[in-house]
Amino acid sequence: MNRNVTPTHWRSLAERDGAADSQHAEPHGRNVAGVSRRQFLEAAGFTLSLVAVSGCGRAPTITALPFAVQPEGVVPGRMQQYASICSGCTASCGLLVGVRDGRPLKMEGMPEHPLSRGGLCAVGQALPLGLYDSQRFTQPLADGQAAAWDDVDRQIQKRVGELADNGGAVRFVTPTVSSPTLRAMIGKFLEPFENGRHVTFDPVSSSAILDAHEQTHGRRVLPHYRLENAHVIVSCGADFLGTWIAPVEFTAAWRTRRVPSEENPRMSYHVQLEGRLSLTGSNADRRYRVSPAEYGNVLGHLATSIASRAGQSPPPGTPGSLPIPESDLADLADRLWKARGESVVLCDSQDVAVQLLVNYINHTLGNYGTTLDLQRPSLQRQGSDAEVLALLDELRAGEVSALFVAGTDLTHNLFDRAALAEAIGQVPLVVSFAERQDDFAPLAHFVCPDHHPLESWTDAEPVRGLFSLSQPTLRPLGDTRSILESLGRWSGHPDTAYGLLQSTWKGTIQPQVAPESSFVDFWDRAVHDGFVEAAAEEIATPEFKTDDVKLVDFEPADDFTLVLYSKVGMTDSRHAHNPWLQELPDPVTKVTWDNYVCVSPTTATELGVSDGDVVRVEAETGFQVELPVLVQPGQHDRVLAMALGYGVPGTDRFANIGPQWFEARPTVAPGQPVGRNVAGFITAANNQLQYVRKGIRVASTGRHHPLASTQEHHSLRVPASVAPQGAEVRDVVQDTTLAAFERDPRAGAPAVHHHSETQLWPEDHPPTTHAWGMVIDLNKCTGCSACLIACQAENNVPVVGKDEVRRQREMHWIRLDRYYSGDDDDLSVAHQPMMCQHCGNAPCETVCPVLATVHSDEGLNEQAYNRCVGTRYCANNCPYKVRRFNWFKYERHDVLQNLILNPDVTVRTRGVMEKCSMCVQRIEEGKIAAAQRGEPVVDGDIKTACQQSCPAQAIVFGDLNDASSAVHVARGGPRTYRVLDEMNFRTSVSYQRVVRNRDGVEQGGDKHV
Amino acid sequence: MSQRVITVVLLIGLFFGAITLVSGMSTWRLPDNQQGYAPQQPLDYSHRLHAGELQMDCRFCHTAAEQSRYAGIPSNDVCMKCHTVVTDSFDKLQDERKRADEEKRQPALSISPELRKLYDAMQLDDQLQPIAGATPKSISWVKVHNLPDYVYFDHRAHVAAGVSCQHCHGPVESMERMRQHETLSMGWCVNCHREATADGVNGRAVNAKTDCAVCHY
Repeated sequence: MNRNVTPTHWRSLAERDGAADSQHAEPHGRNVAGVSRRQFLEAAGFTLSLVAVSGCGRAPTITALPFAVQPEGVVPGRMQQYASICSGCTASCGLLVGVRDGRPLKMEGMPEHPLSRGGLCAVGQALPLGLYDSQRFTQPLADGQAAAWDDVDRQIQKRVGELADNGGAVRFVTPTVSSPTLRAMIGKFLEPFENGRHVTFDPVSSSAILDAHEQTHGRRVLPHYRLENAHVIVSCGADFLGTWIAPVEFTAAWRTRRVPSEENPRMSYHVQLEGRLSLTGSNADRRYRVSPAEYGNVLGHLATSIASRAGQSPPPGTPGSLPIPESDLADLADRLWKARGESVVLCDSQDVAVQLLVNYINHTLGNYGTTLDLQRPSLQRQGSDAEVLALLDELRAGEVSALFVAGTDLTHNLFDRAALAEAIGQVPLVVSFAERQDDFAPLAHFVCPDHHPLESWTDAEPVRGLFSLSQPTLRPLGDTRSILESLGRWSGHPDTAYGLLQSTWKGTIQPQVAPESSFVDFWDRAVHDGFVEAAAEEIATPEFKTDDVKLVDFEPADDFTLVLYSKVGMTDSRHAHNPWLQELPDPVTKVTWDNYVCVSPTTATELGVSDGDVVRVEAETGFQVELPVLVQPGQHDRVLAMALGYGVPGTDRFANIGPQWFEARPTVAPGQPVGRNVAGFITAANNQLQYVRKGIRVASTGRHHPLASTQEHHSLRVPASVAPQGAEVRDVVQDTTLAAFERDPRAGAPAVHHHSETQLWPEDHPPTTHAWGMVIDLNKCTGCSACLIACQAENNVPVVGKDEVRRQREMHWIRLDRYYSGDDDDLSVAHQPMMCQHCGNAPCETVCPVLATVHSDEGLNEQAYNRCVGTRYCANNCPYKVRRFNWFKYERHDVLQNLILNPDVTVRTRGVMEKCSMCVQRIEEGKIAAAQRGEPVVDGDIKTACQQSCPAQAIVFGDLNDASSAVHVARGGPRTYRVLDEMNFRTSVSYQRVVRNRDGVEQGGDKHV
Repeated sequence: MSQRVITVVLLIGLFFGAITLVSGMSTWRLPDNQQGYAPQQPLDYSHRLHAGELQMDCRFCHTAAEQSRYAGIPSNDVCMKCHTVVTDSFDKLQDERKRADEEKRQPALSISPELRKLYDAMQLDDQLQPIAGATPKSISWVKVHNLPDYVYFDHRAHVAAGVSCQHCHGPVESMERMRQHETLSMGWCVNCHREATADGVNGRAVNAKTDCAVCHY
């Protein structure tokens, strides 16, 4: 067998350099100084006697309240799903909201939805936690004081009436509005004003793409990227699998071409050029370190070579120096040219000149109409930075008479906060629709809190012709009001949000979709399905105008270039109050509860800093921020990267999140927000907001701010101190290249064949009925961490706070292990979701003294919480390090958040071990449902929470005993392997090897053992 | 002498102590064993009358038993299906009707004190007309069969397998006030699961598993 030399994979620089052993052992308790053994036994004895006494009484009286009048269709204790729209970002994915006993509990992706195709990201999964937040406004405010809606309405209507008469400038600021009804209502509201304007401000804008299309195609639109048609993807900085525009949709499309099989060993070729290491870059076949300041140069050269292949004269001008090898660029141009009409070039640059080059390349390659759809453009980003900058000028000049801000925090997300706040202070009427006290709300005269999206009717049109509906899933928790109703009332169309929505759907949407059916039928279908699609209207593809396309020399900077990005899970500042997302380890850096400055290892050495050392980052204007450093392999040496969306006012509430014990350290210093706001680094140039800034100075402050990073936690590596001969090599994550795969589909497997026929244990527990198993395709898995939050929501996994994370006590049942290999110039990354492997020969089971963890006859490794006494032997003996111990009773710091608890899963108490149960509650549910129907369980009926959420559909779950099941088929595939198979644990979970679309039989740049 | 007296007294004491202990053993229960629990309910509903005398099916009121984990306590409107007409005991209604016939008048509305509580919850006035503006309230029943929080019992599975309600709940049709008939202990559950797997339920083979995660997750 032609076998590759196994690349070394490492999770942190310390691990690569062999310095990570100290972190290796199972997290253990410490001897608490000052308490003697005798005192401890006294206390323990007293506690025991109390337990004995308390056990003798009658159980407390429990009352049960049935409905007074039971609503039709509602069954107590039964989860019902309602079609809806995810409001986590502007991508508007399809959603099924699981509602049980009047509480929305669990979000699931809508499998029928044409964009998201059943996937849902971490933000979507965490949505209902934002609903049960005691810090949301429960009533309107007038001048910061609680007020009644009638009073607020009267005062606003009076002021608005005056404005209509005297012709004052009225500005309505929102992020991209994908709701046609809201757009119409804003239009109606602004109608009476001579000088009324709707300003679309996206906190992370893609305005340059739209403006470039206005110049080349005559229409200011965002193309709908159809990555399922793309065989070659070149992305300059666009993090399309992580945060860019519609990551779930793009992941769902991207993965369709990432499955090489024996019959058809073809997969897409994905090249990422970027300054920082993004989630998308970590999944690319080939990744180049290019400073964002030089994207234009690469694209200029690419445009020239593609033009010459097409026999055209290249755009005028000369491109600057090429930051990647010329042969690589020629190869890239060849591949793109070969895949004409089946390729796509993406770029997140906010420079219109760069976007024009992107359009030119895509046009020359004939990608418009196949991978870029302008017939039905995307409406997911409509922000116009020119409008925003004009608004800022007007504000500074004191020309605005009324400012309405909905759905975004205007001051938090823009630069020059102090001056902006002062200018807003001069505006006679400022109205905010904020959900909770943000940075902008205190500046507003009136705060008219909008409902949480799960409480209100709304709609969306993410792509032209695709209309979605969202319905309320519970009665509003506070005295809030839908923005639609507020606008309706102020503009003289008082109606409920439901009524307003129906009138839009009757008036404009039904004629496009189903003009012949009755409205009632149409509406009922739309509410049930959650979306309707209009037939594609034929619009002539506009002529491509090359007039403005020029090659420009984008000079690289000598100073550092700063990249501001939005983080997976946090996006803009909207989700900063969500503890699940704050504690979600970033898919690449693995840091929780902070933002930080990413620097390359070389730069870190240059600056003399390491992880957690606080540096001062300063712009030419003098704006500065002090943040801890994170050394990020694969980052460009002259690039610094910082995440937006942090430093949100009110996040000091998390100071005491997690267990409060005598050694507890607060998650954030009292009065300090989580992270620091770095929006002050945003600049404006050429009518665009720029998230890349040159001329940055950085200096060490000498202080240290420890980061809570999970990257070295729960490692599968054998510490050098206990390995027989040096550190043992374990093929935990296996990868290969497409060239090797074509020759031998089993390429990448370890050479040493392990005989697992000899059994220490008798075969006394064969799974006879079902054998539940899972196969995870690492080639599809992007590491987006949606599964992690889905699991947290499904299985009542608590939040532990930053200090406990630092003590390696995070409770997530799924760990997204991220392995690097190669060197900084050609870094390969593999993501591996690691959870309980449900071993057939489970090491944990043999060491449990009370049989709390045992094997079921369906192949599951079960954990009986009520039997566990907390010896932690099992966790110590678990080779995969997937068991989590409840060191404390993790109470929710916001009691309202107890409403999110899944009633079908036990809330574990202190002193109990827990781990992935393979969603056994869903398995039981599925089995019972099948038994009721009198049929066997159908493959695909039972889905685990992680599997359901996965945008890449990388997880397959089912019955291994069923020869026709998807999981059985996947398990027999050539890429399938089991982690630590040489130990003969006979796991129920298998993985499918990563295949990178590369020519070499061996990994380029890999270090060899 | 006094030694002997003390010995005799101690022996007698021991004898009575043993008798008390042995007789006490029969009623002694493990903590949390609630067998025989029959709390006072807010409304003296009689299962003997409804399920026994009138032979109503359990699932007529406990509709969720086939659709949900919980059998559910019926909502007030389920009671009102009959009790809009039946406002008092049969005898009283019959008496009033006879008397009204003799006196050639409409029978007067007769409402039993227990049903009055239901009507109060439904916000109905003396003439059983809805009180304007009032919303019906739930009745706060006391739960009789309680399982610990880490136990997930599912009615659907048992109903689908053909286990009768009385098998676990006892002779409900003879209970004036609802009482917990069985121990609902884990041993009791597991015994039945084993027996059912060995002998089947009502002649049908079943696979009642005894894995931990059948009930604990």
